[in-house]
Amino acid sequence: MNEIRKENFIKINDYLWEIPKSFRFDMRVPARIYASEEILNQCLYDESIFQLINGTTLPGIVNYGIAMPDCHEGYSVPIGFVGAIKTSEGVISPGACGFDINCGMRLLKSEYTEEEIKPYLEKLATEIQNQVPSGLGRGRKTKLSFKEIDRVLQEGTHILRKRGFGEDKDVENCEASGKLDWADALTVSQYAKNRGRDQLGTLGSGNHFLEIQKVAEIFDEKTAEVFGLFKNQIVIMIHTGSRGLGHQVCSDYLKIMIPLIKKYGIEVPDREFACVPFNSPAGQRYFSAMASAANYAWANRYMIAHYIRESWKKVLGRKENLELLYDVAHNIIKKERYEINGKETEVIVHRKGATRAFPPGLMEIPKKYREVGQPVLIPGSMGTASYVLVGTKKGESSFYSTCHGAGRTMSRHAAIRKISGQEVIKNLESKGIVIKCWSLKGIAEEAPMSYKNIDNVVDVVDKAGLSKKVVKLLPLAVIKGE
Amino acid sequence: MKKYEILDHKADLKIRVFGKTKKELFFNALLAMVENLEPEYSSSENPKKMKARKINLKSESLETLLVEFLSEVLYLSQVNKEIYLKARFDKFTDNEIEAQIFGKKVKRFNKDIKAVTYHNLNIFFRENGQWEATILFDI
Repeated sequence: MNEIRKENFIKINDYLWEIPKSFRFDMRVPARIYASEEILNQCLYDESIFQLINGTTLPGIVNYGIAMPDCHEGYSVPIGFVGAIKTSEGVISPGACGFDINCGMRLLKSEYTEEEIKPYLEKLATEIQNQVPSGLGRGRKTKLSFKEIDRVLQEGTHILRKRGFGEDKDVENCEASGKLDWADALTVSQYAKNRGRDQLGTLGSGNHFLEIQKVAEIFDEKTAEVFGLFKNQIVIMIHTGSRGLGHQVCSDYLKIMIPLIKKYGIEVPDREFACVPFNSPAGQRYFSAMASAANYAWANRYMIAHYIRESWKKVLGRKENLELLYDVAHNIIKKERYEINGKETEVIVHRKGATRAFPPGLMEIPKKYREVGQPVLIPGSMGTASYVLVGTKKGESSFYSTCHGAGRTMSRHAAIRKISGQEVIKNLESKGIVIKCWSLKGIAEEAPMSYKNIDNVVDVVDKAGLSKKVVKLLPLAVIKGE
Repeated sequence: MKKYEILDHKADLKIRVFGKTKKELFFNALLAMVENLEPEYSSSENPKKMKARKINLKSESLETLLVEFLSEVLYLSQVNKEIYLKARFDKFTDNEIEAQIFGKKVKRFNKDIKAVTYHNLNIFFRENGQWEATILFDI
């Protein structure tokens, strides 16, 4: 293993650094990281750059293996990775999407201002906590049949709309309308389906959360207006994914692909990099299974939005208009087209802890946002700011991708040793933030001090031009599931 | 003898597991995993009541067998809301396991483990006569 030092990087500009292909014999393309000098220094303390270099060895990868400023070590590629691989001659790698398939963000807008909602905040947070379980104890009361699960895998949010949940805008304003049409329930195991039966509308644990936030600062008035955002507006942020169903899909396909690596003569740095040609039977089956799990994740966030609306109705006594701004994945593999070496090329973009950020004009963006670009939802660490950004043309250099959050700098154990859950709660309460959680230890693990500063991370992607800041959100209530 | 120890990792759960035999290593890995789900037992359940679950697995190597064994236990734990604290291995080779695991019902888990990863997994025999493996769990 080559030791990686700062001298190994070529500085492209203040926010972009490159390790040339010559650094290690098995690199197929250079490795690039979007970071300020300070963030780059932080990244050298863990395995993230080493894992990024491993990512550049994937067969068929084009241009660069890319790390975002919020990157940190994980398994296979780092969290905060983008890699585009040619569909014609490249591979698909479940580990480079991750176990939490379509973990992502959803943002609901209210018509209320902070002053109007303040008196109800505590009650709202309690009610939302009751309505949206973590799923680690009781799941949801109703257990879906295998037949129903199949429909969710196949049709995503569309089946929920047909069943009378949500509203039309919940489908229209979602990435891919909440349904990837190459999903195929037959490619998903009974094990995975069984895990998903009582988890639709559950939050999970770890860094997953719900927050009631306010629009604290507007950077781009015109885009904020198109997004329907105004100063002091109350919004609700949802962060979760495909739960046990998605985790099982990834485990199942790693198990299938590991013995196939040899068959296809692929060399990988670690078993977690298991991959097969995209155009092989196993590659195609995984791609459909991943799409099915992604549909489940969108349906999950859709149902959580439904339960949040129920909570608002109960607390405020009438039906409130909580409109979906957008819903976007940050762990997903998608087919896209880019100009590579002067030729339009079809690639599968692996985004693991990276958010798609399409520029203005693309058909995949909901019509109402097409003129300004795709909304990008970036959560901060617990109790800190979150951001809404917008995709830009310049983002093409990162395959229209940007960061996905703050990114850890301290392990969970180190966090627990440094600070107690009670102290974290006290700090949040002293800032006037309502906190609803089950496990004090879980809260300590998520203490803001164990993450990079979100403002610095977002500044990098803004200044590098991968996406531009639209508004800054500040939390008023944090809800971590029952 | 220590059954396992938790190592530092920025985002996930990294555990070094020990065992006098491979079988013991597998069982201690199981214990390490389920204890880290932080189960809370239901007061209404009889604590002595154990439910048996069968596991039959074949895999290409001892390492992949360990991951797949733990993945199976994790699946059973999550769908049945049970914690397994006993195991009986009827067959145990480097490529195959036939086992029964015995579980208690739990009220809830306080922690979630998303999956068992294959990341950097090696199983080896130390000079001190112990088997050892370091496993990374995605949490």
